[in-house]
Amino acid sequence: MKAPSNRDFVRQSNVSFSQPHRLRSFWQVVHVDPILLAGLLALCGFGLFVLNSATAGDTEVVTRQAGTMGIGLFVMCVVAQFDIQFYRRWAPTVYVVALSILGLVLVIGVEKNGAKSWLDLPGLPSFQPSELLKFIVPMLLAWYLASRALPPNLKHVFWAGVFTLFPAALIVLQNDMGTALMVTMSGIFVLLLAGLRWRFVFAGIAAAVIASPAWYLFLAQPHQKNRILTFFDPYRDPTGAGYNIIQSQIAIGSGGVYGKGYGNGAQSHLDFIPESNTDFILAVLAEEFGLIGVLVLITLYLFVIMRGARIALGASDMFGRLLAGSITLTFFLYLFVNMAMVSGLLPVIGLPLPLISRGGTAVVTLFIGFGLLMSIQTHSANKSPR
Amino acid sequence: MEGKWQLKDREAERRLFARRMVVASAVVVFLFAALLLKLINLQVTQYDYFASRADGNRLHSQYVPPARGLIFDHSGELLADNQPIFNLSVVRERVDDIDATLELLSSLIRLESEDVEQFRERLKRRRVPFSSIPLRYVLTEQEKARVSVNAHRLPGISIEPQFVRSYPAGDLNAHAVGYVSEINREELDAFAEDVRENYGGTNHIGKTGIERTYEELLHGEVGYEVVEKNNRGQVMRRLERTDPIAGKNLTLFLENRLQLIATEALGEQRGAVVAIDPNTGGILAMVSKPGFDPNLFVTGISNADYSRLITDNVNTPLFDRTVNPYPPASTVKPFIGLGGLQHGFTDQDTVIQDPGYFRLPGVRYRWGDYTLRTAIGGGHGETNLQRAIFQSCDTFFYDLGYRMGIDTIHSFLGQFGFGQNFTLDVGYARTGVLPSREWKQATRNEPWYPGDTINSSIGQGYMWATPLQLATATAIAANKGVVVKPRMLAAVDGEPFEPQDLNPVADVQIDNPDNWRYIEESMTMVVHRPYSQVFRDYGTAYEAIARADREMSYKMAGKSGSAQVVSIAQDILQSEDIDVSDLNKDHALFVAYAPAQHPTIKPQIAVAVFVENGQHGSSVAGPVAKAVIDAYLLDILQIDFTSLATDPDALLSFDAGRAPQQSTDPAAGFLTLANAEHEGHVHD
Repeated sequence: MKAPSNRDFVRQSNVSFSQPHRLRSFWQVVHVDPILLAGLLALCGFGLFVLNSATAGDTEVVTRQAGTMGIGLFVMCVVAQFDIQFYRRWAPTVYVVALSILGLVLVIGVEKNGAKSWLDLPGLPSFQPSELLKFIVPMLLAWYLASRALPPNLKHVFWAGVFTLFPAALIVLQNDMGTALMVTMSGIFVLLLAGLRWRFVFAGIAAAVIASPAWYLFLAQPHQKNRILTFFDPYRDPTGAGYNIIQSQIAIGSGGVYGKGYGNGAQSHLDFIPESNTDFILAVLAEEFGLIGVLVLITLYLFVIMRGARIALGASDMFGRLLAGSITLTFFLYLFVNMAMVSGLLPVIGLPLPLISRGGTAVVTLFIGFGLLMSIQTHSANKSPR
Repeated sequence: MEGKWQLKDREAERRLFARRMVVASAVVVFLFAALLLKLINLQVTQYDYFASRADGNRLHSQYVPPARGLIFDHSGELLADNQPIFNLSVVRERVDDIDATLELLSSLIRLESEDVEQFRERLKRRRVPFSSIPLRYVLTEQEKARVSVNAHRLPGISIEPQFVRSYPAGDLNAHAVGYVSEINREELDAFAEDVRENYGGTNHIGKTGIERTYEELLHGEVGYEVVEKNNRGQVMRRLERTDPIAGKNLTLFLENRLQLIATEALGEQRGAVVAIDPNTGGILAMVSKPGFDPNLFVTGISNADYSRLITDNVNTPLFDRTVNPYPPASTVKPFIGLGGLQHGFTDQDTVIQDPGYFRLPGVRYRWGDYTLRTAIGGGHGETNLQRAIFQSCDTFFYDLGYRMGIDTIHSFLGQFGFGQNFTLDVGYARTGVLPSREWKQATRNEPWYPGDTINSSIGQGYMWATPLQLATATAIAANKGVVVKPRMLAAVDGEPFEPQDLNPVADVQIDNPDNWRYIEESMTMVVHRPYSQVFRDYGTAYEAIARADREMSYKMAGKSGSAQVVSIAQDILQSEDIDVSDLNKDHALFVAYAPAQHPTIKPQIAVAVFVENGQHGSSVAGPVAKAVIDAYLLDILQIDFTSLATDPDALLSFDAGRAPQQSTDPAAGFLTLANAEHEGHVHD
């Protein structure tokens, strides 16, 4: 807590200090946070390594994933080049555009894996616009709340809720509950970090607890109910709904502390683990590298999260803080939900394991988020607060 | 929040944010800790459980069924082979919706409701999890292709090659060799635990004949393998393997060629032929007609085929006539006669006066000789034992039998296997009846009457014998008393098979060896004694055998018989399709061995022929025996009797002084023909 307060003092005093390291100034110039980059590269490398085994050495898939990661890193750097104040200015515009694209998807979207959330425009790779909302929503909320007195009052909370739930509702209409949930959570994170009063927080939790049985009884679709029932008792349908979770638990458990060794995961190589290179890749990792491997992964994630938190705390203004904090927490939620689901701690929700699972749009989206973090980190030192 | 006057306090907001970040970090750490605890629970606490679950997922111990031993005839011809077929199998655990899968399959291939029924029956049986259960046997190439193309829609369904029994000779050996068919629940339950284990990979078991008798030798020992299977049940690797031990190859005494000859000789008639090698007891032929195609049973006989086989009450193709008892009729006469000689109730020269009937002292009832029913009239006149045999005189045996008494008959004939199963490996053969006082008292609760003895002495009444027993007794007679027990199995994997005889039987002891010669002479006369001027002085089978084949190069000892049909099932009598008069006809019997009276060559074959409702033993059953003996001696053993330095006159020496020449004289022919037409074919 010392450094940021110190820097705040420096900024406030409007006195220029020389940078302590030349190296640091280099990173400042290229607008890349070396610590975050190192963590991300380590995660990407580990991810490719696991994916190579999960796909049974399918070089095409691994190469494509590496390419996607390269694109993501590039996009991250591009995003980081723009001053965070630029994003702040453009936040409302981007939000409106994003909403209209979501509306467009509902009309001309393409369905993949049951969710009509893909846009397949000629000349562009197909992508999921809803993914982008995971940081467009916090960006708008940060823009909205940062300029208002915090903690937010009821009116601001109400509008923040509207700004969050409207796109989330559109995504629900696309039949993509997972993304809608993440988008909602990214908005809620902004509110929480902005100091949403605890009574609102507890009221919200209480409302959710009360509403969930109603949701289960009246709104939940059969497959969702099934997932929840399966969560409580995977063996009620061991070859059907419970199959995934049973097999992934067998894979994880049989990995033990040290794992079966790279490429020796019988569960994954004999195709007992479904979605072994997307949502359930953690099972492959845990089977082959054991508890140690999972600890390494958690450590890498924790490293990235701590860096994100550090960036959030060190941001020069509330917009940057809220955005960085929300991006970091959304990233955590993402990976936690996946790991908890694969290990049987949560019901099955179709979310990939960030940077490890195979995926296109999702990976690039993640890097946009990290680009924003880097923008916040590398531009805040140069800019005086507004 | 508290009012419009509130100003932004940046430092306070920053601190608020920092506090919230601390809370968030705490939540993050808490959630990671929960996750770690869950993982430790899975990977450390429950490691052993999940490790074995993972192995259980991928490792499957499966049985490797042994190849069933082949069955060869004595000449090395294959009687039971193993042929590869392709079966449609189901791993139930891999199929989500069995009904939908079966429906889809039935749209692709021919799938009878019967197949499905049997499949569901198999599903209920005790089985190894993830084992494949046959749904349909013998897929055609086209069906294989259709299933393969749709494999992605049919998880758990696979096409598996399997070796199954095939009987190249079709119905020729159906009863003797038997057949295999699917093991049923009762058979499995009857097994001891280790045997059931041994049948883990086996679908078939011998049901009848050799296949059943020597099931243990033929089956072999099951092998095991541990395989790694993937999610779809495909075998990815074989990790361990204990090879199965194939079943033993069996060589029988049976000669496929004789089976064919016997079958052809029987023609369209129902009947049975059993041939035994008197030197070894080896069963050379064992035919029951009509037969059936044993191949039908191997992969599950259809209901239609099965009901066709079991509803044929007249032909009863599944019924093995070789081991079913019938009245032996006159074929027992040589044995009764020998008993009479041995026990002093008659001798070689004793002559009786045959008026055509026999009457007990003080009883008015007359037991007629068959000749009573002829146009010429009854009686043989002066008749000694020899003539009584070759002319099949009933009166002589009524008298002899009456004087011997049932106790002597019972004990003497018992030595030849009547009333018992003498076989070493035809356990399913019936024993027939060799009546005795005790037997009648036990089964009928009646005392033995003298009339019963009289009926028994011509092989009627209570006396019942199977064709197999008749062949056995004939073989013992051919051996001059040396008992050989009939057996099917000659060699196991090429090594001669020495059966264990748990109930050894003493040879038939005849005090005066000349009595053997005398009986053989009498039986040879049955076949070879020609027509002559003397009234009723020819062998009953002369016309059908020796006269029909004037080139016959060896002597045959034989005896014909015509058994009265005792009963016909009521439902058959009422059937309109069958000419009941046919079913009332006598059964024709003939027993023979050859060569007889040969100075250097012992008898090589003993035969019993039974023709259901065949009427005349000599003319109907005789030629069948002749065909079988010819084929064995001349074709299979290839004995060249003509080139053997033997004096044909010496062979006929027994006939000296009794018009030895064959009747070529037209005048004599007239008389003999009259004899033949009016008598010789009526009774034997």
